[in-house]
Amino acid sequence: MCDTCGCGSDSTTFRKHGEDHHHHGDGHHHTHDHHTHDHSDDHSHDRTISVEQDILGENNLLAQRNRGYFEAKNVFAINLVSSPGSGKTTLLEKTLTALKEEIPSAVIEGDQQTMNDADRIATTGVPVLQINTGNGCHLDADMIHTAYGELKLQDNSALFIENVGNLVCPALFDLGENKRVVVISVTEGDDKPLKYPTMFDAADICIINKIDLLPYVQFDVEKCKEYALQVNHKLEFFEVSATTGAGMDSWYEWLKEMSK
Amino acid sequence: MHEMSIAMNIIDIACKEAKKDGASSISSIELDVGKLSGVMIDSLNFCYESVCKGTLAENSTLSINEVPARANCKKCNCSFEIDSFMALCPECEGYEIEILQGRELKLRAVSVN
Repeated sequence: MCDTCGCGSDSTTFRKHGEDHHHHGDGHHHTHDHHTHDHSDDHSHDRTISVEQDILGENNLLAQRNRGYFEAKNVFAINLVSSPGSGKTTLLEKTLTALKEEIPSAVIEGDQQTMNDADRIATTGVPVLQINTGNGCHLDADMIHTAYGELKLQDNSALFIENVGNLVCPALFDLGENKRVVVISVTEGDDKPLKYPTMFDAADICIINKIDLLPYVQFDVEKCKEYALQVNHKLEFFEVSATTGAGMDSWYEWLKEMSK
Repeated sequence: MHEMSIAMNIIDIACKEAKKDGASSISSIELDVGKLSGVMIDSLNFCYESVCKGTLAENSTLSINEVPARANCKKCNCSFEIDSFMALCPECEGYEIEILQGRELKLRAVSVN
């Protein structure tokens, strides 16, 4: 944690599966100015400086740098976002197991704490790096830059980024991905798109997961899709059960097409 | 609480600009925050107060200009104000709308002395 402001921003750690040590990012570079020096009279009067800068401009710039890197290496990067427990990790495990012979892949896992997800992904044999954000509620473009540097991405591959489980904050942070995929499970309410519209607005693809549980829950798939389209009429949908494999083939076909 | 990261970015940008100008302190920071920007203004104010401590912006005020959201209907081409992403076109009730403004998250100006 930062000694000056206690913001916790440098508590992010990066660790590959199997490594027993982790290291910290160097992302903490916000200003702590102390102004004890004298100033000339020229600057003693009040004045207004016009700035006109995007507050997330630095993240957006870094995201564009990531995007350029991915484009140069022909890496198809996906940012998976959802609330906790929607089945992102299971979806990834099944996807990687099914496609690893056809699409060389790598995974960046984002969670506040633990190596649990990276350990699960590692059993598929795909290279994985865990980012623990500490108190952070989202991944940002700088973390992704550090992470793919460690992973040493192959040319013509896919990079799956599993964001911190949170349907609010990750919406605002471009990571440089090609496509953003929001996952919703049928054990959540079908009105999630109305409750968390910013995330659905920022997504390209919506995966409705755990459809094998539809007989047991009150979830109206068509209603959910209609709500999501009201927020973002460009959304494309996949209805799947990562557990049973139902509907996964069309998701795999889409991935293969996009990764060409 | 992404408002914490946003407050930190605001202070970073404002302090850089103030330093470039040779200012000794920041008295206020002016922002544009769009209605659909995904930022809670109360939460941003709260985070700002804690983040500005120990910086040139300590004791400064945050002045937030809330930008209303507007959209254009892709079907009938009419333009209208909206208050959420789920808005329907008031003319044809279509939901294929293009958001024209309301996503702003911009630092407009810094007052220094």
